Amino acid sequence: MIPGSTRASRVVCGALAANSPSHEQGDNSFADNRTGHSVRRGAERCARGRARSPNSALAVLFGLIYFVANSRAAEVIPPKPPGYFADYAGVVSKEAVVRFNEQLAQFERETSNQVWVVVYPKMQSDSDIADYTRRVAQSWRVGQQGRNNGAVLFVFVQDRKMFIPTGYGVEGALPDATAFDITEYHVKPHFRNKDYEGGLAEGINLICQAIRGEYKGTGKTALETRGEGGSAVPGFVFFLVFIVVLILIARASRRRGYGYSSLGGPFIGGWSGGSGGGWSSGGSGGFSGSLGGGGSFGGGGAGSSW
Amino acid sequence: MNKFAIGCGGFVVILLFIIVIGALALGGIYNRLVRLQQGVDQSWAQVQNVYQRRADLIPNLVNTVSGAANFEKSTLVEVTNARASVGRVQIDPNKAPADAAKLEEFQQAQGQLSNALSRLLVVVERYPELKANQNFLTLQAQLEGTENRISVERGNFNTAVQNYNTAVRSVPANFVAGIFGFAPRPFFSAQPGAEKAPTVNFNFGTPAPSPAASATP
Repeated sequence: MIPGSTRASRVVCGALAANSPSHEQGDNSFADNRTGHSVRRGAERCARGRARSPNSALAVLFGLIYFVANSRAAEVIPPKPPGYFADYAGVVSKEAVVRFNEQLAQFERETSNQVWVVVYPKMQSDSDIADYTRRVAQSWRVGQQGRNNGAVLFVFVQDRKMFIPTGYGVEGALPDATAFDITEYHVKPHFRNKDYEGGLAEGINLICQAIRGEYKGTGKTALETRGEGGSAVPGFVFFLVFIVVLILIARASRRRGYGYSSLGGPFIGGWSGGSGGGWSSGGSGGFSGSLGGGGSFGGGGAGSSW
Repeated sequence: MNKFAIGCGGFVVILLFIIVIGALALGGIYNRLVRLQQGVDQSWAQVQNVYQRRADLIPNLVNTVSGAANFEKSTLVEVTNARASVGRVQIDPNKAPADAAKLEEFQQAQGQLSNALSRLLVVVERYPELKANQNFLTLQAQLEGTENRISVERGNFNTAVQNYNTAVRSVPANFVAGIFGFAPRPFFSAQPGAEKAPTVNFNFGTPAPSPAASATP
């Protein structure tokens, strides 16, 4: 935790320095000379520099509180894995990771279902595995928007536990009984023999087999579709047009010389209140570039321990 | 004179403007309340759904368990009775109850069934032949999944109700809510018995996790 937090405070420093270029010019060049030096010294220097402005001191304080709170918290929701298959415990060979990733990407292209497999050394929570894995899968939004067709196989090697939370859309094709059957009678025997690769391969095959017929794919993954469509653009364009129109109105009314420029105030307020922030919701395609779309999980699924 | 006419016209324009804005704002608030109320009803339907799912599992479970040699009949009877009393609570599945007493009644009946079921699962531990029975293990997995779904949907329902109630009670919207009769809705309280600490079950049958796993503060 400590290296992480010092690095983070350094980043905070950098951001603040960028925000106030006129402030402490000499200090910045000093920082450039020392870039290669130890992170800790950089952080100390940062702290000294910050003490001058209360705002930045507050930011550093919040950063510290955040990291302390994070390290003390019993539960950690891990960040989204980079691919469909991620092995954080190092139990699977590199080639297998690539192979599984390609298999699962192909599966999404064909069927639009998202199956993820994540292997962790241990569970970072005191909660029940079903509860915890559901929340993690939900926060990753595994599955495609509207179909909720995601399933994740979580494996915690040191805890000797695994669980498959299923999204709302695949509960029918992969009911708890099937999920239990897969983990208990097909994956678990492999894991008991320390054959993680074989167990995961069989688990992936069986999960895919179970939910194959549920939906039809488009030949592309959600990520690939999003990359082409650029759905985030329209919202932004709307917003720009809105702003331009506002400016034009303001200019026109000022040129005419009427004293009613205050009309703009209630107009804007009333409109945005009535529409419920509809403008900003147009750009909901915000997280392009990462897997996962908008799937939801309702507590379905099953698992085993070995 | 001319100036006066312009001033009058301007005044009327402003007045009209304010009226239009007011109507728009009222409409917006009303629509928001309707949307939130729909959200509550929808999540209530989900709650009903998952409870129904549990009720549907029970006959199967009872059949499987009663097949075990000389299984304790009293626990089974208890489960069957609790399920029957759940069925007697008449409640509209498509509309969340507006009456707190009604929800309380529903919750009590379901809570009784939860208790009976968990007692059943404890008793089952004493029957090794059941614990080796594949059919029973599958049922148990389904039952656990259903309990998980119930807790998720109850949470979603409470969130929806909370959003709705906050909207109904907060300042600009509460006038609209008063005019059109949007009343706050009751929500689930904690499960009876949830305030007691859970019993710790030391399972010596499986190998313990490594010390690193238990070292989390």
